[in-house]
Amino acid sequence: MLNIEGLLVHFPYDYIYPEQYSYMLELKRTLDAKGHGVLEMPSGTGKTISLLSLIVAYQKVFPLEVSKLIYCSRTVPEIEKVVEELRKLMEYYSKQTGESNNFLALALSSRKNLCIHPEVSSLRVGKEVDGKCHTLTASYIRAQRHSDPDLPVCRFYEDFDAVGRQMPLPAGVYNLDDLKDFGKRNGWCPYYLARYSLMHANIVVYSYHYLLDPKIADLVSKELTKKSVVVFDEAHNIDNVCIDSMSVNISRRTLDRCQTNVETLQNTIQKIKETDATKLKMEYRRLVEGLKEANVARETDVYLSNPVLPDEILQEAVPGTIRTAEHFVGFLKRFLEYLKSRLRVHHVVQESTPQFLKDIFDKVCIDRKPLRFCAERLRSLLRTLEIADIADFSAVTLISNFATLVSTYSQGFTIIIEPFEDRTPTIANPVLHFSCMDPSIAIKPVFQRFQSVIITSGTLSPLDIYPRILDFRPVTMASFTMTLARTCLCPLIVGRGNDQVALSSKFETREDFAVIRNYGSLLQEMSAIVPDGIVAFFTSYMYMENIVAAWYEQGILENIQRNKLIFIETPDAAETSMALEKYQEACENGRGAILLSVARGKVSEGIDFVHHFGRAVIMFGVPYVYTQSRILKARLEYLRDQFQIRENDFLTFDAMRHAAQCVGRVIRGKTDYGLMIFADKRYARADKRGKLPRWIQEHISDGSLNLTVDEAVQLSKHFLRQMAQPFRQEDQLGLSLLTLEQLESEEMLKKISQIAHQT
Amino acid sequence: MDEEPERTKRWEGGYERTWEVLKEDESGSLKATVEEILFQSKRKRVTESHGQVRLGMMRHLHLVVDCSRSMEDQDLKPNRLTASLKLIETFVEEYFDQNPISQLGIITTKNKRAEKLTDLAGNPKKHIVALKKAVDTVCLGEPSLYNSLHLAIQTLKHMPGHTSREILVILSSLTTCDPANICELIKTLKSLKVRVSVIGLSAEVRVCTVLTRETGGSYHVILDESHFKELLMLHVKPPPASSSSECSLIRMGFPQHIIASLTDQEANAAISTSSGADLSLGGYFCPQCHAKYTELPVECKVCGLTLVSAPHLARSFHHLFPLQAFTESPTEQLQKDRFCQACQGELKDKSIFSCPSCCSVFCVECDLFIHDSLHCCPCCIHNQSNP
Repeated sequence: MLNIEGLLVHFPYDYIYPEQYSYMLELKRTLDAKGHGVLEMPSGTGKTISLLSLIVAYQKVFPLEVSKLIYCSRTVPEIEKVVEELRKLMEYYSKQTGESNNFLALALSSRKNLCIHPEVSSLRVGKEVDGKCHTLTASYIRAQRHSDPDLPVCRFYEDFDAVGRQMPLPAGVYNLDDLKDFGKRNGWCPYYLARYSLMHANIVVYSYHYLLDPKIADLVSKELTKKSVVVFDEAHNIDNVCIDSMSVNISRRTLDRCQTNVETLQNTIQKIKETDATKLKMEYRRLVEGLKEANVARETDVYLSNPVLPDEILQEAVPGTIRTAEHFVGFLKRFLEYLKSRLRVHHVVQESTPQFLKDIFDKVCIDRKPLRFCAERLRSLLRTLEIADIADFSAVTLISNFATLVSTYSQGFTIIIEPFEDRTPTIANPVLHFSCMDPSIAIKPVFQRFQSVIITSGTLSPLDIYPRILDFRPVTMASFTMTLARTCLCPLIVGRGNDQVALSSKFETREDFAVIRNYGSLLQEMSAIVPDGIVAFFTSYMYMENIVAAWYEQGILENIQRNKLIFIETPDAAETSMALEKYQEACENGRGAILLSVARGKVSEGIDFVHHFGRAVIMFGVPYVYTQSRILKARLEYLRDQFQIRENDFLTFDAMRHAAQCVGRVIRGKTDYGLMIFADKRYARADKRGKLPRWIQEHISDGSLNLTVDEAVQLSKHFLRQMAQPFRQEDQLGLSLLTLEQLESEEMLKKISQIAHQT
Repeated sequence: MDEEPERTKRWEGGYERTWEVLKEDESGSLKATVEEILFQSKRKRVTESHGQVRLGMMRHLHLVVDCSRSMEDQDLKPNRLTASLKLIETFVEEYFDQNPISQLGIITTKNKRAEKLTDLAGNPKKHIVALKKAVDTVCLGEPSLYNSLHLAIQTLKHMPGHTSREILVILSSLTTCDPANICELIKTLKSLKVRVSVIGLSAEVRVCTVLTRETGGSYHVILDESHFKELLMLHVKPPPASSSSECSLIRMGFPQHIIASLTDQEANAAISTSSGADLSLGGYFCPQCHAKYTELPVECKVCGLTLVSAPHLARSFHHLFPLQAFTESPTEQLQKDRFCQACQGELKDKSIFSCPSCCSVFCVECDLFIHDSLHCCPCCIHNQSNP
């Protein structure tokens, strides 16, 4: 039981890290101010439990101020981890207070992870599951069943629909498996049950996309109450998630599939017209009345607004040109033909959205207004035509979303048409990139709607850039260090080889034989002195391929293999997970292994290398993005014009956050230890170093700035021996691990106040 | 780096940051220096080993020495192999000094194989001779933890249940090249109640952590040569016997040493059974079957009786009645002149140690010396003799 500025917080562990206390303090201040916050705390210091226990305590004490916690994480395993922590907390609560728990907390994931229908759940791919589910549960299908009882049915959904809504999910903590169990016991569909229960749950744990991706958010999250606290965990890449959710890429294949979609639409319309013309008339009438309902809802503040559905649309009726189904299909066809003609280019075209709109008007006489209604109109049509398998229509949905977006936003987007990929200039593969350059567009509704949004991660440095690119004003911005009883991380910057050749992955020296050789000798020497697992990151797949090929020729690989086995990450997911499995096995049985992987790849983001799985991580080069990409160039330009962020600053920031992510993989807690080797002399510069998270930065001494390979080896040897000494919990107590009494001592409180670094 | 074998000069040695050892910790306790943690564990060792525990006095220990390529590393001077072998020599002597009725065998591993250097035997001389010879071995390839443990089990598993079965591995390499899954072997070791301890020369390896944790041994990694010695000496003391080991009375013979004169008719017939080759006149005769041995302790090869001498047993005695731990207190509390009663040096450390029975004050080093070597408090003895 902790007292955090007057708020009594139940904390389910006997000991607490000082930074956890400090974190809760800042969090409480953010909630008090009903504002947004950016908090950086190293991984492995119990961020999740601090967040949960404080917010739950807040909810219990001020149920009217904060009624819901929405916890967004990235992957399913992460979601499960959060739920487990929450379960521990809730059990602790009921043990302490003696009363049974009245909190409802649940995780939500896609149908793929929740479906219990024997046939549907046997499908592997998410899209197929969604489509199949839709064919069984869509409202008009169920309506048809009244006349034709032979149609297949999902009894779980039917049962849920019949009784499930009257009986709310009993209080408790549900992870995905719990939901499935509950669903099986009652014969209810767990997915729809979870979605329905979101409304009255106290805590919801789900993926980012349920809030940020406008297509999904509209279905799932729009009715969530305003008095919610939203937490984005592992949010260092949140701007890219926002951008991806608003960007559209159209290739020739998309257009072909769209063509077939449109044809199907046309045929269906024809058929319906012959059998049931009233249905189309009804739709027409509804469209005349406009989207008033949606407008009312937004005004009364019931819904989270959808950035794809701009305000202006709501006030107007669907324009006459696309009101009837045939006209709309004709309209789509024309639009499609236009896009096809645009893709027949031989050189790269980049234009702004107004330019694009003008062009489309000139060429095929399509006005801006009908374009804006395109997405809404298509949805209405699909509903009217009672098309079961929505998944088939993803292409046309994509195109219509594109139409709406392109006509809605005159700023923040750019259109780039590339006739071929940069790497294969001879193969024609035209792609139209409609790319969002402003991450704030997607996340704006979230900031506007919810009273507190917390953005947190292990690596958010430099903190001030996030509010700028996401365009919001935080009330707290803090970075927390890791208090350590022993310095368990050892960042080293290796800038030179033993022959004094400067090590760098910069473009000019990329092919340099001497640099590659020195990188090789660095890895070789490290493989001899670091126990168990080493993870090495390269800046790109291509760079990795080149270097590994050169190492093979020079015989370096052979030498390395005497010490450790080598595994390589490839773009193929199955291959990579196989390599990972073998890598872990080799670490486990003492053979030792090296994993060669790529910054920004799967390994660098989602996979933790606890303890012996990663005793050292080597970052070969600075992981800049591919700067020649036109999309990136456009985005940089936009950032400079709109947010006054210089290109170089953003590029460095982006490179450093990925580097920090990569090296952060090895330290997953205070008992863990690991070497972090930055093998590029550019890391020594203040502008790079200064952008690393504070908890890494403060361990880089001046003496470890520009080391040669040999010096690094000596330092590492020393470090590894020190770390191998017995380390018990008692050694941590009072320093980095506190009991309640220790926490309350005056001296400690003073120390704690220095942990948070405000910016 | 040049790889010449002879590097004795300081400036030729590794890049050492000597100044960093001296670094004062200004932020107070935020970064507790490793030295302090080490000091505490040193103390802990002294206090921990006391108390009335049953100790496995009859030990069978297999020493596995890594002779792989990594032993050529020069971070111990002149190289790891030479330094370790030298330390192991002193260990062997100390081991038999403290555990006179125990046995020891040495296994080396290199180039993915394991070989027996000496068999399990109670004679320190043979081991030491073998170790001296081993200095010249060429370090090759990778070690095999599996093969060496497997080899050790072959002999250990035949040892009687009331004795302890131990393996101590000196591992320099960070990798091991095994023919089969070592986890299975660990299970076998556990079922055979073999205790495996590891001293790592470079860094903490996961498989050793698991191995030692599962079999109840200890795992340490050296910091430098003196630390290495300290860690080795930890294994000199007999470990507490596992509660499941058999409990039985052991028949022992206490043979007399008889020097026969050349004229003695009987003596000429008897050849020393233990060392085989050389003839000697004197020797120990088994009280049961009169086989002659030149050295003790030994297990009679004829009738299987354990032969020891009384002083041997007496030397093991202090393990049973250890000296009480000294109480630690801060130096400031001491009112009188601050001198250690044993070495007469000034007490400079921040804590002192006093004997609970005679209240004499000692420094850390003397405390360790008294507990490790003397096994009795010098001041108490002094008081007894001068009443």
